[in-house]
Amino acid sequence: MKSDALRGHLDALLLATLDGGQLHGYAIIEALQRRSGGALDLPTGTVYPALRRLETAGLVASEWSTVGGRQRRTYRLTKAGQRALAAERTAWREFTTAIEGVLGGGPWPAQA
Amino acid sequence: MAGAGVIDDYVTALDRRLRGPDPVKEDLLAEARDSLHDAAAAHRGEGLTEDAAQRRAVAEFGPVTTIAREYQGLLGLAYGVRTLRSVMLVLPLAYLMWELNRKFWIGSWDAFAAPPPEWYLMIARLNDTSAWFVAGAAVLALLIGRRLARTTVSTMTLARLAGVVAVVAVGVSLLGNVAILAATAYLDAPRLLMSPPVAAATVVSFAIALRLAVLARRCVVFSSV
Repeated sequence: MKSDALRGHLDALLLATLDGGQLHGYAIIEALQRRSGGALDLPTGTVYPALRRLETAGLVASEWSTVGGRQRRTYRLTKAGQRALAAERTAWREFTTAIEGVLGGGPWPAQA
Repeated sequence: MAGAGVIDDYVTALDRRLRGPDPVKEDLLAEARDSLHDAAAAHRGEGLTEDAAQRRAVAEFGPVTTIAREYQGLLGLAYGVRTLRSVMLVLPLAYLMWELNRKFWIGSWDAFAAPPPEWYLMIARLNDTSAWFVAGAAVLALLIGRRLARTTVSTMTLARLAGVVAVVAVGVSLLGNVAILAATAYLDAPRLLMSPPVAAATVVSFAIALRLAVLARRCVVFSSV
């Protein structure tokens, strides 16, 4: 999948990966790749600036903590992040329902 | 180990392209290095050699020029936020310090020999309110920036906006200080030296404003790299 097409959704995707609890950066990248079946082809280095921007926006919080015996920066959703994720999911369902209604029904019947 | 050099070279190249506050930069680079080593370990687990695993990890991370641009936006933004917070807190405190100092050492101002002209009173009023105006502008910029960070506005654009607000805010404050000093010197120069402690407080206020001007200029530099 093209990275340009993903950029507009990257924030929502990152929020969704943190929905289950706090993760460090590489675990977020692995979760993104696993849950997309490997279709998300994004330079992994762009994920960290996106996470920090979400932190500036108050949607995620981060801290250095020990994970697997190593010091890592871990990220978690804030309350505002949970609300933003819920809003993104609602908007996405509305969008896909609308597009599915137009594209998903096969060829349109010929007009009389 | 040949592979260790691949990641080290990449992080060094990234480091060389970045300008901004050292603690933030070191934090970003430490996280990037961790991620690269995590990715390399995963690729080693898939059977690649150390060198090949680290080359793939670096390739997946992205071209250093592209990644550096994104990281530089973050550094510029971090510096902009820090500067706006300083403006928000330090300028009103400096103003209060100067006013308390003046009230303690001088008390109420003596009247001018002749009533001061309207333009002088206007400069005095502007100078008295500039610290609060500037602090309010910084608070507003921080709140708007936080909201814009939730949109697709890039960090580099946010950093530039923070830099512009910081430059204008500090510029207004400095202009107010210079204007009231020059106007007072023009109308009644001895008034400036009525009290050495107050004159010293004036010098300190100027030093603070100049320091903030340096920070504001760096905001613009770090968001223009």
